[in-house]
Amino acid sequence: MTSTLRPAPAKRAAPPGAAARRRRRGARFLSPPWWFAAPALAIYALVVLYPSLSGIVYAFTDWNGLGERSFNGLANFSKLFDDEAARGSLVNTLLLTVAIVLVQNAVGLLLALGVHAKIKSRTVLRVVFFAPAVVSPVMVAFLWKYIYNPSPDAGLNGILGAVGLGGLRQDWLGNPDLAIWSIAGMVVWQFAGYSMVIFLAGLEGVPAELHEAAMIDGASRWQRFRHVTWPLLAPAVTINLMLSTIGGLKLFDQVYAATNGGPGHASETLSTVLYKQAFVFGNYGYSTAIALVLALFVAAVSMIQIHYLRGREVA
Amino acid sequence: MTSSYGTAALSRRGFLGLTGGVAAMGALAACGGTSGGSSGGGGGGGATLRLVAVADQQKPLELLLKEYTKSKFSASYAPTDQVQTSVRTQLGAGNAPDVHVVFPGDGSAMSMAQIAQAGLLADLSDQAWTKRIPPGLKPAFQKDGKTFLYSAGSSVIGAIYNKKVFQEAGVEPPTTWSEFLDVCEKIKKKGKVPIALGAQTQWVTQLITYALVPSTVYAKNPKFDEQMRAGSASFANSGWKDAFDMYLELQKRGYFNDNPNGTTLEQQTSMVATGKAAMAIQVSAVLPDFRKAASNADDLDMFPVPGADDANQVWVPAGVVVGLGVSARGKNVDEAKAFLEFLGQQQNMNRWAEAVACVPLTRDSASKIDPVLKSFLPFIDANKAVPFMDQNWPNAEIQPAHFAVVQELLGGRTTVAKALAKLDETYRKK
Amino acid sequence: MNIRYGLRTLGLELVMIAVAVAFLFPVYALVTMSLKDQKQVAESPLALPSSPTFDNFSNAWTRAELGPALFNSTVITVGSLVALIAIGSFAAYFLSRRASRLGYGLYVLFLLGIVLPFQLGMIPLFKLVDEAGLLGTMQGMIIFYTGIQLPFTIFLYTGFIRALPADYANAALIDGAGHFQAFTRVVFPLLRPITGTVLILNAVFIWNDFFTPLLYLGGSTRETVPVRIFAFVGQYVSDNGLVFAGLVLAALPILAVFLVLQRYVIKGFASGLKG
Repeated sequence: MTSTLRPAPAKRAAPPGAAARRRRRGARFLSPPWWFAAPALAIYALVVLYPSLSGIVYAFTDWNGLGERSFNGLANFSKLFDDEAARGSLVNTLLLTVAIVLVQNAVGLLLALGVHAKIKSRTVLRVVFFAPAVVSPVMVAFLWKYIYNPSPDAGLNGILGAVGLGGLRQDWLGNPDLAIWSIAGMVVWQFAGYSMVIFLAGLEGVPAELHEAAMIDGASRWQRFRHVTWPLLAPAVTINLMLSTIGGLKLFDQVYAATNGGPGHASETLSTVLYKQAFVFGNYGYSTAIALVLALFVAAVSMIQIHYLRGREVA
Repeated sequence: MTSSYGTAALSRRGFLGLTGGVAAMGALAACGGTSGGSSGGGGGGGATLRLVAVADQQKPLELLLKEYTKSKFSASYAPTDQVQTSVRTQLGAGNAPDVHVVFPGDGSAMSMAQIAQAGLLADLSDQAWTKRIPPGLKPAFQKDGKTFLYSAGSSVIGAIYNKKVFQEAGVEPPTTWSEFLDVCEKIKKKGKVPIALGAQTQWVTQLITYALVPSTVYAKNPKFDEQMRAGSASFANSGWKDAFDMYLELQKRGYFNDNPNGTTLEQQTSMVATGKAAMAIQVSAVLPDFRKAASNADDLDMFPVPGADDANQVWVPAGVVVGLGVSARGKNVDEAKAFLEFLGQQQNMNRWAEAVACVPLTRDSASKIDPVLKSFLPFIDANKAVPFMDQNWPNAEIQPAHFAVVQELLGGRTTVAKALAKLDETYRKK
Repeated sequence: MNIRYGLRTLGLELVMIAVAVAFLFPVYALVTMSLKDQKQVAESPLALPSSPTFDNFSNAWTRAELGPALFNSTVITVGSLVALIAIGSFAAYFLSRRASRLGYGLYVLFLLGIVLPFQLGMIPLFKLVDEAGLLGTMQGMIIFYTGIQLPFTIFLYTGFIRALPADYANAALIDGAGHFQAFTRVVFPLLRPITGTVLILNAVFIWNDFFTPLLYLGGSTRETVPVRIFAFVGQYVSDNGLVFAGLVLAALPILAVFLVLQRYVIKGFASGLKG
């Protein structure tokens, strides 16, 4: 594996002198010119950076989203730290994120390995596992409300009863202690195939020769996975872990459509609180403050993750 | 290394095809844009007006837009939450659709009072139909004496019941609270669910409170809303406590289905429509879907929920249905207002009301009132009807707080006293 | 891989098929409800339809006017995808090969785009689109999706380009090719698996996105498929049969693209990369 984005080792290691200059010029000769990134940067700045930066202003105002606004300093932020509902939603958000990151990626990896093997139905199965990801999350939640019907002879409960697991029947979305886990189950079902596709892209990049060589060397299946496949899957693992973490921390559509944060506030997440403050309660300034804190929080988690995961990739 | 060039030749074609695609798509999108531009950009004269409404308004609006020839409209409909989000954003950014959905009264982020306060709704007061708004309903339409909302009428909250199940249990629609409990008991003995409750769908949680509060609060004290605003009344020391107690009594006696907090509106609908449950306390606006789900639409009827033991003390909730407003800052204010004036004509109000099963704002001989709503008319005509409670609430947080405390009450996670304290606290915010 | 189709593979095949059946249950629920009228759904939503009806599908097609909406959705999705892949792959290549603080800083800046909640810039962006006269146009949507999905695209590409040996491109450069040629002729073809992934994942997002087209295209003639379908989801009355049928219709093109893409990626791997 090759170059890293870490602050140029060449620069630090290079001794002064003609040889170094030549090497540096060599590196520059080999690295792509800046205009490769220019169009991307321009569109990104226009559509994401500029609007987001100008939106931050609202976090320091009492704007209701419609009328006049005046600056209120850090009042929104101090309100946030006293807001019990927001604190409760933080705990829910973290629990949901951990569950989704672990289960979705584990299932996604197993599915990817399964349909990467030379089984006859692999193309069809890939489509099957990916199919849930193709339906909009809001409608998936709507659909799952039929499956999570609490009556003992309907939906998932009906199936559990029919296969002799009647003892596991639940009030899936109505039980406040269970609701977020039911939502997590729904999200994992929908996005395991999504993770699978990214793992597959990694697996497609593992050269078959390496496997063959390992087989000739007499490596067991597990050894081949552990020492050949897994290290080469590193980029896919990084991408999947980060995307599912960010997705979990920002999870909104599924929660909003499945429970709207209920019963009571049992399944409220940071994003549902943010949304309600902005568009249901009309506290736009306060909601922007929440959005800002959420962004900083997610950014911090992502930076730690990428630091750790990419370090692992290079090693 | 050389071999990589071998594959490259092939894929270069692929890449060029791709970049060629960019140009082609750009061109396509560009011509798409020119023809669509007129509808998006607005402008004077014969422009196409933008209209954004909630899905529940699609049926009447499609009907009436087809007949309206003075201006051309391009309409979009969407679920309530999404419309609320997108129109709030557009209002905040200063370019709202010419005509858009507005909720009556106060108490929600898209309500007439909150948008009009920011000066974003055009004044409709000079239109003829506004003179016919019944005095009791004026707060839903007007702020500071000016009319900012168009709405075709009122819907009521009551018990939608399955006549067959009532017949089997040998019961008739009750007129007092104790009769109501008797009816439930008899149905329960027959092995049916007396009241289907789909409290998983959050707005459904409020309906039983709303059905009872007119009798437990407003029949005794019609000035309750003013006193609340003035700070001299509270939820905790009012008939709201009785209403919550009665709500929970129904649950304690086993008159609801199991797990109401996990049961959705769709499941509630199907229980009543298929006769597994006898009734659902619901807003009349859901009638069309209840009927479509029933094997025979005529099996369904509706009666006012008697929230008092003296039939004369029974009042009913009747709220103005979701309506439309004109964006004050739009480029086509006059054309948009002309459309609302058209909707305000009596025959068009009648048609809108018929399409959504509500009682028209004003009635004439041609008004067709849904037969199941007839039992509510005496209450409305005797001024024993109260707007839905949230329409008079001063901020948009109280209604969601009500949803949450009802779910917590049904789940046994809070007490009536704590629930009322929470509502009072939320009412006093800001 | 020259593994013979033995008992082990057969066992794996059977297990995977069993998992697929369990996975498909909600999909079955969706399809079965799309084939029922509201009476049948009320009777038993998830049983097989007693008398299947295709009314929902014809209603979805005519009443929801899915035909023109499909055209709009296709133009917006394909346009955005082409721009995303062209612009995103170049940028990702630059970011992966530029071993400097600037390169890393830019990379982190792009990553920020995945992290930011969309609400933050929503109102300023709407003003911008409005002022540019792009409300109600498909170009506006293509620019929007390109900008909003670039971070994700660059993130996926960079991860995989970093794992790719630089030798191929370097050899081409030493042989006298320009950077543009080295990338388009040598590197881009090697990115086939990840390009397929970038394409399908972005396609799913753009195709399904409901809120943005409602915000920017609402009340225009350029509405996309989800906007047309969701017009039938009311608070009090919904046409669920039509909505489910519409969703099935909307999912089919994406699934077809995915199927073709998988074939292409698998074949591409078997024949192309080994060389």
